[in-house]
Amino acid sequence: MSQPPARRWRVSRRGFLIGAGVVGGGLALGATLGLPWLRLALADVVDGAAPPTIVTTDPAFWFEIAADGRVRLAMPKVEMGQGIHTALAQIAAEELELAWEQIEVVPSSSAGPVADNFGTNASNSVASLFAPLRETAATMRELLRAEAADRLGVAPAALRVANGAFFVADDPERRLSYGELAADAARREVPAEPPVLKPSTAWTLIGASVPRVDLPAKIRGAATYGYDARAEGMLYGAVARPPSLGATLRRAAPGEAARRPGVVAVVAERDFAGVAAESRSAAAAAVRAMDLEWTEGPPLQQEQIDARVRAVPGRGVVIQRAGNAAAALRGPGVITAEYRTPMAAHAHLEPQAALVDVRPDRVLARVSTQYPLGTAQAIARALGRDARTVEVVPTYLGGGFGRRMVSEVAVEAARLSAAAGRPVHVGWSRAEEFHHGFVRPPTHHVLRAALGPDGRIVALEHSQASGGVIFPFIPAPLRALFGADFGAWRGACISYAVPHISVSAEHVPLPIATGAWRGLGLLANIFAIESFIDELAHIAGADPLAFRIAHTGDDEHGRRLRAVLTTVAERAGWGTPAPAGRARGVACSIDAGTVVAHIAEVSRKPEGGVRVHTVWAVVDPGLPINPDGVAAQTEGNICMGLSSVLFERLSVRNGRIAADNFGAYPLLTMRDAPAIEVTVLRSGDVPYGAGEPPMGPIGAAVANAVFALTGQRLRELPLTEV
Amino acid sequence: MNLVINGQTYQVAKDPPRVLLWVLRDELGLTGTKFGCGAGYCGACTVHLDGVAVRSCQVPVSRVAGRAVTTIEGLARGEELHPVQRAFLEAQTPQCGWCMSGQMMTATALIAANPRPSEEEIIAAMDGNYCRCGAYARIRRAVARAAALARAATEAV
Ligand code: FES
Ligand code: FES
Repeated sequence: MSQPPARRWRVSRRGFLIGAGVVGGGLALGATLGLPWLRLALADVVDGAAPPTIVTTDPAFWFEIAADGRVRLAMPKVEMGQGIHTALAQIAAEELELAWEQIEVVPSSSAGPVADNFGTNASNSVASLFAPLRETAATMRELLRAEAADRLGVAPAALRVANGAFFVADDPERRLSYGELAADAARREVPAEPPVLKPSTAWTLIGASVPRVDLPAKIRGAATYGYDARAEGMLYGAVARPPSLGATLRRAAPGEAARRPGVVAVVAERDFAGVAAESRSAAAAAVRAMDLEWTEGPPLQQEQIDARVRAVPGRGVVIQRAGNAAAALRGPGVITAEYRTPMAAHAHLEPQAALVDVRPDRVLARVSTQYPLGTAQAIARALGRDARTVEVVPTYLGGGFGRRMVSEVAVEAARLSAAAGRPVHVGWSRAEEFHHGFVRPPTHHVLRAALGPDGRIVALEHSQASGGVIFPFIPAPLRALFGADFGAWRGACISYAVPHISVSAEHVPLPIATGAWRGLGLLANIFAIESFIDELAHIAGADPLAFRIAHTGDDEHGRRLRAVLTTVAERAGWGTPAPAGRARGVACSIDAGTVVAHIAEVSRKPEGGVRVHTVWAVVDPGLPINPDGVAAQTEGNICMGLSSVLFERLSVRNGRIAADNFGAYPLLTMRDAPAIEVTVLRSGDVPYGAGEPPMGPIGAAVANAVFALTGQRLRELPLTEV
Repeated sequence: MNLVINGQTYQVAKDPPRVLLWVLRDELGLTGTKFGCGAGYCGACTVHLDGVAVRSCQVPVSRVAGRAVTTIEGLARGEELHPVQRAFLEAQTPQCGWCMSGQMMTATALIAANPRPSEEEIIAAMDGNYCRCGAYARIRRAVARAAALARAATEAV
């Protein structure tokens, strides 16, 4: 693992950082992310330093133009299949006037106090980086323009730019490439005025379906993931695991492990036991030879968990209120229904893995993690070191889905590497993935509504209870501040125009570790709400699609919801009869600013169960940076969502998670994957998330189609009784 | 013991008994073949053994000596991608990409044995390869397209 070249940064008047020390003499321009306190923290670093103001830590993201004209963009966002590196390259290339292929996106490391504090999650990467990235790229372009104007002896306005070079407008032979300008431009001051950004009408890359930058390597099997990370002299690690949920080490001793062939180091500590050896199998065998004693966890059963997760109207923390739902829901005629969703595994296909090299003065780690900074801090804590001496460089991720916001494997590899004095790779088995760490929490929802004489919804109440999603990972004072787990109630609010609304959420502490799963609470909450809306439409004697449209509001959300609903109705031929033996269902949602509607067409399998033939999806992410990328994310969300909706249920038996591999926890395969027809709408010039929102309506769309087909209302996932 | 992988001969120890997957990945550095379950369920580890798709996590390395193993690294001819790789790229198929070596190796074996697979034959052949990212619609499309590209390539010869 080589050390990245050291850069030194000087702070400009606009808070931009200009870097020196780029190999070969080039220009680097970086910025902190838009949070004021990050900028302040940086200003502190700078003010405390002796002039000239130099910082040696890297900013949140930066561009480098090398003397040979190569442009690199170092970003804190990891690529886990969502096409983020491509989207960022497009945004940057637009203002830099480059072809998108000319920009190489690389992950920045965790080192430095202004690294990304949030990780890659919650579909926020494009949304949060769009503005800062464009401004930084445009600033870089203007620095180069100023340098080119001086060198060519013309006014900046007389220059044109294309393909990474400036030329004189009426004398195109007189030109200077970015590479030629880079080193000298690095000595200039950043203009005090923010640059003029290209108007959206002039965009050629933003909004274009350019091919993904990471796919050529992935197609050849040449992309490096955490499980593929290798280093000279490396060892393989294996870790002892508790035999049941809640069991802890009572006593750990090396036993016979050290005498096993290939073993280099045995660690037997109060809270950790593991082995580093020349091969994975040698390490695993040696762990089995250790002398370990475990406490016994409680003989937990699934029923005990489910019994705790019970929403009770009026008990949770109110998170949305309009009018007076309690009053409107008093008296006869109130419609009530309950919904339930089970625990689920993330089942990212690459089990978590890390290669960590603990050296006397610093730690280098390559990890398939969604959260490099958090991983670095965890390693530092475990080793008792300063987090600034721990550098985590993210690899490609073989799926993330929220599970890789925590990378226990990196801490394990670090502890073993510290003992062995050599780099250690730890990669989890599938059984380790199923049994350790955290799962998607179970949820329960009580929906209540009253309809007016005109069949419109007068009052709507959603009370939900869920195991923790974000709460298990934040300190108690913050939990108290928030009251309810905002991850669990993602998607729980009502997006329709209803006079009386009450939504409440209850955080249920559980004896099993739960956490974020793709979309957080989205799939569960929208399943409940949008199934219930369908029930109300049925009771009101209305067409489910027309009923939804009739309840959209007059604001921007309402307008966008109407647009996706009418479009999906057109695409699916809603209102024309489905083929014999089939029926259609509709559902919609708003999440992370993105509006989605799905129509699913289903039939009953001869052997029982639901077959989903086609899903029509309409997605409005505001501004789709890469429409084909949005379509791919939509297809993926629909399939992953369907896997959960049709098949997946994780359960606990006798203190253990029952499944230990895919035999007992099968995922959706190609045979059950529907045809998917995606339409991507553009409704503005601001991009919203695309990595999770299309997950929202899939459960309800299918359940509603099952109801249309059979008259059976399935209120629990997975939808197995048909 | 000698292994012939992608036309190249490698020497590996005969003992201890172990499966091909980890020999490829950890001993020979051929990390293009992926690990997903270690139990034959997911197909991420698919390679060819004498042209037939097998799950390398289930194949004892001793059984492979002297036979032709092809991995994802051996699919392209230098710069020139295999028709299956071209089709997968054209359809922008991979998301995270972890399942894709296995998908492409399974598809390649299918097309070699059956140059005109029907939709049902594609599903039957590909059904054992998980894609957690859910790229199935594109995989299905890419395999059909790959078959067409492969036919065009053989007809051109
Ligand atoms: S790793 Fe071999 S089938 Fe899953
Ligand atoms: S692309 Fe991620 S598992 Fe298939």
